Amino acid sequence: MKFLVLVVENIRRNIVRTTLTSLGTMMLVLVVTLVFTVLTSLDKVTTEKSSNIKAIVTEKWQNPSMMPISYAAGLSAGAADPTDPKAVHPQDSMTWGFFVGSTESDPTKRGFENLFFSFIMDPEKARTMFDNIDVLTDDQARVLIDGIKKMKETRNGAIIGEGRLAKLKKRIGDRITVYGRNYKDINLELEIVGTFPKEVSQYSDSSMIRRDFLETELDTYKASHNNKPHAMAEKSLSLVWLRVPDRPSFDKLTEQILTSPSFTNPAVKCETSSTAISSFLDAFRDIIWGVRWLLAPACMLVLSLVISNAISISVRERRTEFAVLKVLGFLPWQILTLVLAEAILIGTLSGLVSAGLAYGIINGVWGGLPFPIAFFPKFAVPINSLWWGAAMGATTAFVGSFFPAWSARSVRVSDVFAKVA
Amino acid sequence: MSATDACVEVHDVHKSFSRGSEVLDVLNGLNLVVRQGEFVALMGPSGSGKTTLLNLIAGLDQPTVGSVQVQGIEISKMSEGQLAAWRTRNIGFVFQFYHLLPVLTAFRNVELPLLLLPLSSAQRRQQVTTALDIVGLSDRMWHRPGQLSGGQQQRVGIARAIVTDPTLIVADEPTGDLDAKSADEILNLLVELKNTLNKTIVMVTHDPRAAERADRVVHLDKGRLATQAPKH
Ligand SMILES: Nc1ncnc2c1ncn2[C@@H]1O[C@H](COP(=O)(O)OP(=O)(O)OP(=O)(O)O)[C@@H](O)[C@H]1O
Ligand SMILES: [Mg+2]
Repeated sequence: MKFLVLVVENIRRNIVRTTLTSLGTMMLVLVVTLVFTVLTSLDKVTTEKSSNIKAIVTEKWQNPSMMPISYAAGLSAGAADPTDPKAVHPQDSMTWGFFVGSTESDPTKRGFENLFFSFIMDPEKARTMFDNIDVLTDDQARVLIDGIKKMKETRNGAIIGEGRLAKLKKRIGDRITVYGRNYKDINLELEIVGTFPKEVSQYSDSSMIRRDFLETELDTYKASHNNKPHAMAEKSLSLVWLRVPDRPSFDKLTEQILTSPSFTNPAVKCETSSTAISSFLDAFRDIIWGVRWLLAPACMLVLSLVISNAISISVRERRTEFAVLKVLGFLPWQILTLVLAEAILIGTLSGLVSAGLAYGIINGVWGGLPFPIAFFPKFAVPINSLWWGAAMGATTAFVGSFFPAWSARSVRVSDVFAKVA
Repeated sequence: MSATDACVEVHDVHKSFSRGSEVLDVLNGLNLVVRQGEFVALMGPSGSGKTTLLNLIAGLDQPTVGSVQVQGIEISKMSEGQLAAWRTRNIGFVFQFYHLLPVLTAFRNVELPLLLLPLSSAQRRQQVTTALDIVGLSDRMWHRPGQLSGGQQQRVGIARAIVTDPTLIVADEPTGDLDAKSADEILNLLVELKNTLNKTIVMVTHDPRAAERADRVVHLDKGRLATQAPKH
């Protein structure tokens, strides 16, 4: 500890060089932090769960998936054959359609701030089937539970996330008109009855309306258009979610659905959310591999070289000083440690500051790293990145400064002071 | 030859350096005794081996052949680690070019050798203050070397040399880089260290006026001592 003054004063010796080394470290740690933020998030969602699996049934050949609503009942039951006692029955299910529209009647003024995106579904399922909401306690989900209760009494009720409410400048109790975009000429008069729990941010910009309300609106459309059904009438089912307890049940469920004659036109597929994402990410596999195993190590290598160079220069300038320290009785390992400590102190602090800034700014100010891959909204920088950043800075500093430090350690007193004629 | 009041005893020392295939014999069977509390000036032409001899006495280098004893301890047989620890406690170094660390204040520079000893920070502060007091620089404690004159820097160097209270001080041309007035002040200081604190001093110098201040002048030539006549 008493040597710390020595280390700190030496770091302060050449502020420009220290700053440059530090900035270099911060830049590269930042890059690696961002890369690993994305990669670990992808890893997490593509890691297969082995229990409590949510299967997703979608149209097989077409994206976006648009299945007939007549599929809903059969799929929700997992296409289980009633005569087969061994058939797997889903523990819970949810059907999704998507209604996209705007609160702005003038098509030229439509934009992100008046966008309305909602799930068409049975409101009760939001509590039991929505990712991350299904794990909340009743207390945490209170606002949603209340909203769902009101929605059951209000056919045209809507639950809208807080972020979206703020952008629309609306509050619970207000009424809005939504002009359909994927449901052309379907305009909905909605009453806002609730919002999503703020513990879960991913639904902040989404909404939810009742399936039966939309069906009525489609019927009304048909009646007023010479009995001609709306173009979306037979395409309003996008996704069916099915909950099963384990992997064997999932495999059996998949088999039931794929072999059932009821879901062949259009054909459907059955995935877990991780396989769905994995198969999507397959297209990016080489890039991801390259980023992880080439880019990140290359960053670290460059960083060690930068540090090595800076420390080498500073060691060469200070050969005489190291010799003086040796004369005074400093041992080689103490000199080695002093030089390493300088580098590691700069490296660790820079790494920590860099990761800390990334964590604070990206998570706190931007609400996550916007990275347009798959259907991820935003990537949150993991809290672990703080110690990664510090460890990365420390490691690269150690690697980079080891050889210069070794040469400082090896300075020979008699060589430095003798006048070799 | 061994005397009980001897501080330094150099006995039949040979030192050679090999440069490539060439072997350079710098010291050839040199003998020297420095008494406790004696101030010896070492003179001789450039390249005669003065610094080499000083390094052997101070335990910075080992003789090729021969023995070097300081206060009865054979230092030519010690390992590098033992020598380092021994130097911290027993030898004070004064260099021609001061060799202070430019980033540290006078206080921190003087404190450096103390960091290697098991002392509390209060004890270190006490010793540093005393040493700076002796060289008359208490008021410059928090100045860095760059803010001090050459003479002042050399006084900080001397404070650093005496801070661990060693008996032997070795100085390699301590006045070589100073003007006459500053040089005189440094020499006064060395004489005073000898007189009041009973330090033994071995000083290399080219300056006859500086040598005059010593108790005894020894001349080094061709690897041996030319004269060893006591002064006065
Ligand atoms: N580490 C070394 N390796 C090789 N040769 C050395 C080494 N140290 C000293 N020498 C040689 O030994 C001889 C004596 O050198 P030394 O430094 O002791 O001379 P000096 O008397 O102190 O000279 P000066 O008055 O110029 O300081 C010189 O020829 C020098 O080149
Ligand atoms: Mg010399």
